[in-house]
Amino acid sequence: MRKRSSLAGFALFLLTVVMVFALSIASTGAQDATPIPEPTAIVSDLGTGSMKISFWNGLTGSDGVTLNDMLAQFVTENPDISVTTEIIPWNTLYTKLQTAFVAGTPPDVFMLHASEIPQFASYGVLKDVSGWYDTNGGWFPWDDISPTTQAGMIFDGVTYGIPLDNHGRGLFINEGAFEKAGVDPNVAPPTTFEGWVELFQQLTLDVNGNNAASPDFDKENVAQWGFAVGEWPRVNFLAALAQHGGSMISEDGTTVTVNSEAGVAALQNFIDLVYTYNVSPPEAGFDTWQGFAAGAVAVLPSGTWFRNFAAEQTDIEWAAWPQFQFGPGQGTWFGAHTWMLPVGLEGEKLDAVQTLIQWVSDNQVAWAASGQVPARLSAQAALDPENYPSNIILGETFGAYGVQDIQHVAVQEMYAALDPELSAALNNQKTAEQALNDAAARMQQVLDRNR
Amino acid sequence: MKFNLLKHTGTYTYLIILSIFVLFPLVFSFSQSLMTNQEVNRWPPPIIPPSPILTNYETVLSQPDLKLVLWLRNSLFAAAAYTTAVLLICAPAAYAFARLKFPGNNILFGLLLLTVMLPSQVTLIPNFLLMRDLKFLDTFHALIWPGAANVFAVFLLRQFFMQIPQELEEAAILDGASYFGRFRHVILPLSTNALTAMGIFVFLGHYNDLLWPFITTSSLEMRTLPVGLQILNSSYAGQYRPLVLAGAVFATVPIIIVYIIFQRRIIKGVVMTGMGGR
Amino acid sequence: MEKTDAIVTSASATKQNRQPFQMRLRTREAIAAYIFLAPFIIFFSIFVVRAVLSAVNISFYDWQILRPSRPYVGFANYQELFNDYVWWIAVRNTIIFTAMTVTGTTIIALTAAVAVTQNIPGAGFFRVLLYMPTLLSVGVVGLTWVWMLSTQFGIINYGLSFLGIRPVNWLGDENLVLPALSLTTIWWGFGFPMLIFIAGLQGIPEHLYEAAKIDGANGRQLFFHITLPLLRPSILFVTVTGVISHFQVFGQPFIMTSGGPGRGSFTVIFYLYDIAWRAFRMGYGSAVAVALAIIMGIFTLIQFRIVGRRVDY
Repeated sequence: MRKRSSLAGFALFLLTVVMVFALSIASTGAQDATPIPEPTAIVSDLGTGSMKISFWNGLTGSDGVTLNDMLAQFVTENPDISVTTEIIPWNTLYTKLQTAFVAGTPPDVFMLHASEIPQFASYGVLKDVSGWYDTNGGWFPWDDISPTTQAGMIFDGVTYGIPLDNHGRGLFINEGAFEKAGVDPNVAPPTTFEGWVELFQQLTLDVNGNNAASPDFDKENVAQWGFAVGEWPRVNFLAALAQHGGSMISEDGTTVTVNSEAGVAALQNFIDLVYTYNVSPPEAGFDTWQGFAAGAVAVLPSGTWFRNFAAEQTDIEWAAWPQFQFGPGQGTWFGAHTWMLPVGLEGEKLDAVQTLIQWVSDNQVAWAASGQVPARLSAQAALDPENYPSNIILGETFGAYGVQDIQHVAVQEMYAALDPELSAALNNQKTAEQALNDAAARMQQVLDRNR
Repeated sequence: MKFNLLKHTGTYTYLIILSIFVLFPLVFSFSQSLMTNQEVNRWPPPIIPPSPILTNYETVLSQPDLKLVLWLRNSLFAAAAYTTAVLLICAPAAYAFARLKFPGNNILFGLLLLTVMLPSQVTLIPNFLLMRDLKFLDTFHALIWPGAANVFAVFLLRQFFMQIPQELEEAAILDGASYFGRFRHVILPLSTNALTAMGIFVFLGHYNDLLWPFITTSSLEMRTLPVGLQILNSSYAGQYRPLVLAGAVFATVPIIIVYIIFQRRIIKGVVMTGMGGR
Repeated sequence: MEKTDAIVTSASATKQNRQPFQMRLRTREAIAAYIFLAPFIIFFSIFVVRAVLSAVNISFYDWQILRPSRPYVGFANYQELFNDYVWWIAVRNTIIFTAMTVTGTTIIALTAAVAVTQNIPGAGFFRVLLYMPTLLSVGVVGLTWVWMLSTQFGIINYGLSFLGIRPVNWLGDENLVLPALSLTTIWWGFGFPMLIFIAGLQGIPEHLYEAAKIDGANGRQLFFHITLPLLRPSILFVTVTGVISHFQVFGQPFIMTSGGPGRGSFTVIFYLYDIAWRAFRMGYGSAVAVALAIIMGIFTLIQFRIVGRRVDY
């Protein structure tokens, strides 16, 4: 018995060795296969200058590649500075930043969203950068960013951030899917919920080619969906909420209003798309990006950051549309990637960080390669429509009717209360009203606790 | 015993079904690590790579910033150091509990047993704060010391030491051996299998730990492989699944090799530590 | 260590003349025991005892880690926890998950152990093979099974399609998500209990089976009347440690479902993680941890009562 098992063990060991060997040998012959996109460098040491800057951000997509390229250019122009960027997924970054502040080891500069300024500013860990704006004798032209972006930089009257971009939501359409359904991809986007439902019904096809409006439609065997509610339901909801004239919290910041009539109507729109009209898969269990890549989604609500995935990772002929309009008004969510500094940063290092941020700000047009929209209005105007149609189309909508996240010190906690309820409603576990009431009760607790 | 295939048909059928259950996910993931992203997203799902490529492995290993090799080294070093610390600290304690009479023996051991059912999360926050105050965050110290008083190890090693016949020690006492001498020259040599098994379990548990190293290490140079892999995973799984899987295979192969080398001792050790309950 | 030994000898030598022999021997032994125990006790005191007391203490404060003020709030954190229905959802999910996983793991591990301890060719090979998933880290397990269970691209749904079953939304259906995560966990974790059972089975004397066979017992009777009762200690060990570890499930839902759909796979450690490491409310987080310890203590006691009646530890 003992001998046998040792033999078996040895055989297995040999197998592993052979496997590893085969791998290394085969690697020489497989170079010509489909190229794999360059992943974003998680950490990059750029430049050799003696002034070392550490920089953390959450740009894990192709936008991180763009920023690293820009920084590589920056260090060649400023040879005495070197930059170590570390890219960490956003959710992880929040945890990591806070533990780093607790441990007293924050980076020299980091990038978050404008909506997180209140949280970190209230901890007293952010540096006041008011002096960098031209209104206080600095270099950044305050009037070169939109009023919504301006508002996002301020907490309690103090300016804590320098904006890099506006990134937000719009629609990405699969032209092939339109043609398959007999719909002209150049059709004008509808402006009412009914109009969108009609379009999505035409675009939703079962395995027999019947669309969702047809009486023969087989809703159990859908081959192509008109829409998909699953990618980041919260920002889809925020857009529809604004379109219905609602808001997350009251203007004085004391009452949660997410469960208003407008909120219920907004959430109900998405529920109806899934369960009444059968034009979208349910929220959970459907990978929207891979679904789009596989040609299973005709109209995908996604963000500016989706551009490079669509262009490089799929064989889909795609185009960008402005955000859907389900309510009487217009609205789409956007946020601003924002440079922030830890409060203790002083002296030469501070100067170096300022040089870096100023250089990137002055070269914001290059940032469009990331798919995102530069924050500076002058940079937006200078975009090349040939190369960046989606940036321009979506960028205009952010300026015209974009809505940002609520400004609140406990925004993360409020969203932690909201997200599961949206998911429950979109998976038919709760009604829209019930879900939003439950969410509002919890969010109100958070508000009251942080009064 | 005469072997009768027919008599064992049921056993083999069951074992083969179980093996498929165990192997299939592993093979499937390994095979996906040899595909392109486009191939992965196909229906029906390809099980054999249509045209196997190694680009994912090359990318994952050649990226200078992905430091997988460094992270592997960190993981192996931290787990080895931790295992050594556990054995050095817990084996003498287990010996004292098993063989020596001293006041407070039962109370102390009872206290230990009570803490077995404590979720590790209870101590997570205070120990994190302690690491900060000791300036241990983002160093190997944070990965080695906090778990070194491993109650589980003490408990199981005590069980094992208790079964070693008393007579062997008595012979040593007659030869004038001290307590340490008895531990060192009688008990330890009889315990190599048990200590190896214990060591392997402790090692594996530490190697795969995610939450603690995630919280206590922040710099790239200090990351362990599971943490690095998790960051790679949450960054890329939606976009480049095969790439992440290549990283996963890389992280798993060393541990499988360690297991295969030691597997016979592990089973022996389990039998001997009386983890089976006798 | 040689030095330690010298101290033992000299420390007891000074007392040698004043005390009776018996006493001296006992003191000597006690001193030696404490020295053997010393390193362990030091680490145990710092990282376990102190930490537990500190957690209990912190749980009485409202303490956001980066805020300067930390007011004392008495039992308010516990009150908040007790009244939070989301906490009870998490407890419920965790209990269901733990019950399914421990049951499934025990059954598969036990039957697998019986199979691989038969005296048949290849048993050793299967023994090594079946343990393999246990070697994986939770990240790899999650990554693998997310795709196995995927609605659109999953191999399980592909297999089911041959039986005419439509794609099942394993991780997206609130009634299926816990069983699916449980299946994943059983796959990952049954190897170690299997080893425990193998060890237990090898300790059962062969003559018991021989005697029963002479009395005409069949295979099933042998299993239920000899194997199972004699494995009671192993079963207790496996279930108790299983409950303790599965009650702390976090990685699988964190990676595979983010706790969804809705809160369908939201577990107690997930709750704790949200509180402590996303909102950084350390006071409340500590209250959660203490409550968790109490719940687990109760479960362990119940188990000892049920399974452990005739087990002597």
